Amino acid sequence: MYDYDAVVIGAGLGGLSSAAILARNGFKTLVCENTNHIGGCCSTYEENGYSFDIGASIVELSWIIDELFEKLGRKVSDYIDWIPVDPIYGFLTADGKRFTYPVDPDETRKVITGFSEADGPRWDRFQKLGQSAIREAFGRIMTTPFATFGDAMKVMAKAPSMVKLVKYMGMNFESTLKSFFSSEQVRASMSLQSYFIGLPPALCPGYIAFLAYAEHEGIYYPRGGMVQIPGSIAKIFGEYGGEIRFDTRVKRVLMDGGRAAGVELMDGTQIRSRFVVSNINAKTLYLEHVGRENLPAWAVKAVESYEVSIPAPMIMLGLDTRPDLDAHHTFCYTTIEEMNAIWFEDYASRKLPDRGFMLVSWPTHADPSLAPEGHHCLNMVTFAPYELADGDWDDLKERYLETQLDFLEHRFGLKGIRDHITMARVSTPKDFARMLLHPGGAVYALQNDIMASAFFRPRLRSKAVKGLYLTGASTHFGGGVPPTIGSGIAAGSLMLEDFGRVM
Amino acid sequence: MKNIKKVMAALALIAAVAAWFQASESTRRYLVYIGKQVPYLPYRYFI
Repeated sequence: MYDYDAVVIGAGLGGLSSAAILARNGFKTLVCENTNHIGGCCSTYEENGYSFDIGASIVELSWIIDELFEKLGRKVSDYIDWIPVDPIYGFLTADGKRFTYPVDPDETRKVITGFSEADGPRWDRFQKLGQSAIREAFGRIMTTPFATFGDAMKVMAKAPSMVKLVKYMGMNFESTLKSFFSSEQVRASMSLQSYFIGLPPALCPGYIAFLAYAEHEGIYYPRGGMVQIPGSIAKIFGEYGGEIRFDTRVKRVLMDGGRAAGVELMDGTQIRSRFVVSNINAKTLYLEHVGRENLPAWAVKAVESYEVSIPAPMIMLGLDTRPDLDAHHTFCYTTIEEMNAIWFEDYASRKLPDRGFMLVSWPTHADPSLAPEGHHCLNMVTFAPYELADGDWDDLKERYLETQLDFLEHRFGLKGIRDHITMARVSTPKDFARMLLHPGGAVYALQNDIMASAFFRPRLRSKAVKGLYLTGASTHFGGGVPPTIGSGIAAGSLMLEDFGRVM
Repeated sequence: MKNIKKVMAALALIAAVAAWFQASESTRRYLVYIGKQVPYLPYRYFI
């Protein structure tokens, strides 16, 4: 006897997307969320009238959200008010340069030719390949179960541009940019994208460079903050009779004859279901919730072999003035060499970041309602180790805040910003791990290198445990708003295939 | 047939060695990094 058709562990974007698809198709579905809010890494923190995004800060490839809403029988425009964001990035360099990359590729070309005349035609070539990669390949891949080599062949047959990208799978991000652009300035300005999947330019697969082109297809910010996206999906889930229980932590997955048959909560309550959907880190899911004793040896070896992704400490600032910035996102950047050194030297030696780069998000640029009138919100994000050689993150918050503000003021020229800070909060990797139960404070679940991607990433439909499905950043296609929603769509289609429709 | 297989294997090895020496320092570092994960791929493929 089942209590529910499906129990979903975690109310992140992937879990909510598949839960809503199930509810729409008549499955009695329960989402168990450990915190008191939805969205996981796409959520909002509110304090003193300021609203901060605590992870995702923008949406690209918004048509994947359209696809989800279509499957749910709803129109996105009835739930989300998209604000177009342009330019994509503002840039601040240590030597005092500032410039922007507009959404229009031709306008970006003008900026690039300002650095190197020769890079203009190279940008055209890069853009053309990026465009076909995004429209034909990445779009298909993100919402398609990609579990086997055969799946990859099928996608390649339908999307010939994938074949052109194969060359860049054997190259890293750095070499890929070098094969297109002669200007070091241009290459460095595009290099942050590698850290967007949690890897330095030296270790990030080359094809990710083309994913960066997605931003030139248009980027958007939802009015009211990023939480509006999971909020809308949760609302539709509720409209179809779905149930979310907050402050409900799952202790383990119930097993019955080698099959996932529900969950046990921390308070000992057992909830039986026909199948289980996970939206938590795959390492936690398999090694703790399912348990090594319920897994074959090869599965334990596979799960243990994955590294968790890099953590991203965040500083949230409330300001009583408009910051001297040019775009929703500002990349305060350095050379590619230094970006690699941060990984190979500082990250490896567990140093608190004291050099390098940061991404500054300015959500009130798009939506002033997120702060009191005349005030603004800024989020400063860097990447740093989970364990520090100098001590514990809880004791080093203040030092970290001061170091990063020094960077912003003295290295990147935003002088006097300290005088306008009305509130400051530091969210460390430890805070992130405590709140979202992400091992190692990982922002993208598992490392996203080529050997942990596609059919080498944990499958949407578990092969090791029958009746268990995965969504979110741990599974194909990895972290980010469109990929995790895509995982929910793809997992949803597999569950409908396996269990049919209830109605 | 056996000889053809041996020749093919030798050619693949020569091509790999040539590619390695032609690769930049950065690409080599990348290849070493992903190479270290190759032993786990048979397990990862099925999880």
